[in-house]
Formats: sequence, C-alpha cells, structure tokens
Amino acid sequence: MKFRNSLLTKYLLIISAALVLWPIVLPVYYLPKHFLDKDSKEKIIYMDTQELERMWHREAKKLNGATSDKIDKRLRTLKRQYSKAMIFWVDANGKTKLKLPNRRNIPNKWTLHDSVEFMKKSVGTGPFTIVAYIGGDSNQGFMVFQVPHSLTDPLSISVNDDVYLLLYGFLVFVLFLFISWLFFSKIRRRLVQLQTAMTEVGENGIPNKVAVSRLDEVGQLGLSFNHMIDELTKSRMREQEEEVLRKQLIANISHDLRTPLTIIRGHAYSLQKESLSLKGKESLHLIESKVDLLGQLFDNLLAYTLLSAGKYTMEQKKTDMVRLLRASLASWYPVFEKEGFEVDVRLSEKVLIWNVDPQWFTRVLDNLFQNVVRHAKSGRYISVHTEEQEGKNVIIIEDKGPGINSGSQEKGAEMGLSIVSLMLKEMNLDWKIESSSSGTRIYLLEKS
Amino acid sequence: MRKNLLYIEDDREIGDWLSENLIERGYHVTWLTSGEKITDQMEKIDLVILDIMLPGLDGFSIGQRLKKDFPKTPILLLSARSSIEDKLHGLTFADDYVTKPFHPDELAARIEVLLRRFEKLSPAFIQLAHLQIYLDQNRILDSRTNNEIILTGKQFQIFTYLLRHPNQILTKEQIYEAVWESPYIEGDKTLMVHIRHLREKIEENPSHPQIIETIRGIGYRVRQ
Repeated sequence: MKFRNSLLTKYLLIISAALVLWPIVLPVYYLPKHFLDKDSKEKIIYMDTQELERMWHREAKKLNGATSDKIDKRLRTLKRQYSKAMIFWVDANGKTKLKLPNRRNIPNKWTLHDSVEFMKKSVGTGPFTIVAYIGGDSNQGFMVFQVPHSLTDPLSISVNDDVYLLLYGFLVFVLFLFISWLFFSKIRRRLVQLQTAMTEVGENGIPNKVAVSRLDEVGQLGLSFNHMIDELTKSRMREQEEEVLRKQLIANISHDLRTPLTIIRGHAYSLQKESLSLKGKESLHLIESKVDLLGQLFDNLLAYTLLSAGKYTMEQKKTDMVRLLRASLASWYPVFEKEGFEVDVRLSEKVLIWNVDPQWFTRVLDNLFQNVVRHAKSGRYISVHTEEQEGKNVIIIEDKGPGINSGSQEKGAEMGLSIVSLMLKEMNLDWKIESSSSGTRIYLLEKS
Repeated sequence: MRKNLLYIEDDREIGDWLSENLIERGYHVTWLTSGEKITDQMEKIDLVILDIMLPGLDGFSIGQRLKKDFPKTPILLLSARSSIEDKLHGLTFADDYVTKPFHPDELAARIEVLLRRFEKLSPAFIQLAHLQIYLDQNRILDSRTNNEIILTGKQFQIFTYLLRHPNQILTKEQIYEAVWESPYIEGDKTLMVHIRHLREKIEENPSHPQIIETIRGIGYRVRQ
C-alpha cells in the first residue's frame, strides 16, 4: 500500500499538527493585537530593555563634550521617538537642565541625598530607569531615561490575566478534538458499513460485494472481503456443478441398468404368448418377478449410497401424516388386493402433524409396504393404524407374516430397512420392530 | 376407431418391441427416436408416450413444450429414471409416469385411463351395473326402468370425478378438494353425507354398495 493512502499517515498528520499547534497558535493569537492595537505597537520599542540601555549609553557617549543646547536638542529628538519615556539630564554642577515632560518630583538642584534617594527609588519600586554619564565621563553630568514597568514588561501570556486567551485555547482544543473525532468516526462508519455488508446475505446465500472507494486500510479490507466473496461464489458454483454432475451420473447409471431390464421384461412378456410347457411358464414368471426385484434393488442401492454419503436432499416441513398415510395406502391398496391381503386401516380422526420430508416419508412407507408384500405374503394381512401411547402419537404397521428373523427372507430386504432406518434417523423419528413367528409390528413415532 | 399414439424412444430394442406390442393391442403407433419435428404431426395424435433420456432435447423439455401447445393431448412419461424428484418434475406437465422396467399390461391400462380422462375414448355411454351414464350429456339412466336419475350438482361432480379416475382409489382429501376446491379438514363429514345420498340414488342396495366401493380408512373407488 502506498504510504500516502495509509490511515497511519493521516493519523500522524493530525497528531503532529496537534503537537506543533501551540507554538504556532500563540503568535497567531497575538498577531491581530499587534496590528490592530496601536498602543501595543508603540509599546514594543520599550520591551527590549537591554536594547534601550545600549541605545541610551550610546547616545550619552555621542554627546561627549557637547554644549547644553546640543544636548537639549538631541534629547528632544529622542523624546519624540520614545514619547512615553521620561527624559532629563543633569549637568556637572548637579543642576537639572531639561525635564521632558516637566515633573515636580525631579529636584532642580541635586544634592547627594537626592541622588541616593533617586537611585534607591529606581532600583526598588520606581519606573525602569537608565542613567548614563554624558560622554561616559562623570564630570560632564548624567542623563536619565525612565519608562514605567507596565511598558517594559513582556506581553503577558498568562491565562489568568487574559480571558480571551483562555477561550481561544479552549476553541483550539475543541477544534483538535473535532478533527480527531471526524477522523475516527469516518473509520468507524466505514467499518460498520463493512460489517453490515458481511452480515447481509444476498439472494444466493452469500453476502454481496462491497463498493471500495478509497484504498486505505479499510478499503483494502473491503477488497479482501470482495476477493473472499468471489472465492465463495466460485466454490458454491463448483459445488452446484458437482451436484448436477452427480445427479446426472446417478440418473445415467440408473438408466443404463434399467434399459436392458426393460428389454428382458418385454421379451419375457412376449414369450408368454408362445406355446410353452408348464415348467417354461414358471420359469418366465420367475424371470419377470426377478426383473422387478432387480429394478427395486437398483433404486435402493442408489438411494442408500446417496443417503449414507449425506447427499440426499431433505426438506422437512409440517406434514399432515393422516393424509400422507392415506395417499400412500391408496397407491398400495391395489397391490395388496391383488395379493389377497386383508387391509385394515384405522387412522386418527384428528389431524396428526409431524415435521418430516413428505417424499422421504413416502419412501419409508414404500419400503415397509414392499417388505410386507414380499416377505409377509403368507399372513395375507396388513394393518396400518395410529395410536396414542404414553401421550405420543404412534403409527403402527402390522403384518401376520413369518417374522423378520425367519430366515426365509429374500435378499434386498436388509437394504430396504437400512434406508428406512437412515431416513427416519435423519428426520428425527424413532422406530422399533417387534417381530415373532406370528407377525411383525413396526412402530413409528416422533423422538422426544 | 384406432387411436393414434406418438411414441418417442431412442432405444431401438425397447421401441421396436413396445410399438409392436401396442399395435397388437389395436393402436396406431408412430414411433420416433427423437423429439424433433413432431409438432406438425400432433394434430391427429391422441396420446404421447415420451422417454426422458433422449439425444438432443430431453423428454422434460419436449413434454413441457407439447403440453403448452397441445394441452388437450395426454402425455405419459415412460422412463428409466425412477427418482422421486424426476417423477415430481415430470408430473408437473405430464399426466402419468411409468418407470422402466414396466409391465406392458399396466402400461396399456394406464393408456386407457388417460384416453378416457381426456375423452379421447368416447363410448356412447358407460354401463355400470344397472346404470347407463352419458358423461357428455350429464345424464344417468337406470337401464332397468329407463328412468333418469337426477343428482344434485355436488353428487354429480363427485360421481363424475370417480368415473374419470376408474379403478383408482381416491382419498377423501382428493375428492373433497377436487369437488369443493378448498382444503379438506380432517374429521369433516360433508363428503360422507354426500356420498351416502348419492348411493341412495344410484345403488341397488345402498347398505351394500356395488358401484362406489368404500376402501375402509382410505377412500372410494369405482371399478369399470
């Protein structure tokens, strides 16, 4: 990622701005004061006291040996320059010559006592005072420059003295907070947007891609997310393709196995019309029934393979079991009738709702009824009824055949029952078998 | 009159044998090995027997197109595909579904049922015990007395629904929903009452019905 795109850069920029803020901000604060306030503009020349002292001594030196008039003239010029200052000079005889402005507290004739008093005052509480010997020589007299301390003091930067400064500082602080808040809330908003995009699922069960407008860290995260969505969509598509391919394969296998069976079946039928011995007819009948059995075995084999691989799609929903049982029995009744079965159906008058996949449950019933037709033919009896046992609704399928463990079973029943078992387990249903030599009862019930 | 069957099957051995079998049963059979260019023949066809796995267009696509263009021609799918998904998909447009291997007698019976349901077979009347039923005229005669039997609207609808599905067991739910066109509620006695009244009119001995057979716990059936 380019450095200028990074959020880090922005953050560092804000922090450095905050750090260098004060040294820049304070002069900015005084700038208008400086330009707008004439007073303060004038004040500025008094602020550098060292410079003032140097200036005063320099001027004193220049007046070496000058006449009174010349000194007066020079001092008047200086007074114009430093209008706020008090300027006077005393000659060698201790007589005050020029007072600008004229003040009474300056003695006209200086005694020793006056000099000491003046010096004491100026060092202590008095105004800022510079005394210089004219020409650097104590015999030529001295000249004095006085300004009040209020002018020489540096500008105040104490918040105690300046309410506006306090307000100004506060504003700058708030501005900094606001910019920081803007920075983080922007990141936060984009992260929340991304999070929402990740949770919301599109039509294909995968979240939609996000729009990436900036290439910073959050933008990069968005790009990675989009990449992931691409991969997910690809793998979902692959999965679907495989699903279609697998179904196609199963259909093809089934087709390829069943086609020759159909031909065998057809020709066996045609053979029946030929004149055949009794034994020949029996053989034909056997061929026909085995062809049918084989067809069912293929079905069961494919179903079992799919089921045990977990590739059989199930859609459980609230299902009216009485209706489902009745519909299944309606299609099986002619078979039972043909085989001479007594069919005893006693279904609940009340609605019986189970959460099953109707197709799967029909398949379970098909397998169970198929087994009855095939293995319990001798009993010539089938009963399907619903009962309440211990507060639960139970579907009972009963026959009077020789029982499941009679050993007389044809092969194939086991796979049929395995499919039943797998399907019931997937649909969260329980079942149990009671079998004896006088019959079999199969109970189907919802798991508690 | 011989009925015209259109049979589409790509497997030559099966096609050869079945079309011969159907011709023996008195049908006129047109056997094609693919579903292309069949629409121009459809006008005179009474029923289509359709395989699903075909080269080119598969049976599902052909069937759907045919059903759209010729909704009054019954379609019977005859396929080696036995999965319940295929059956359900097929039955969204087809009128019956028979899986291979099949018993030719069963196939013939189903063809007859379909032809009757679509009134391609229109015998002048159906004789059921002492009843002569003229479906096209909505008329039922008692052949012993030559008196007309007058049924109420619902009774007639129930009876004709059973007659159009001969030898088929119809559950209470199926009949109720076909006639009343609203979902059946478990325990509703309306249908039973109507059938009792219907039997009083058409059965010789309503307590031992011969025409409308009760399949206990499941539904009703009319044998023909």
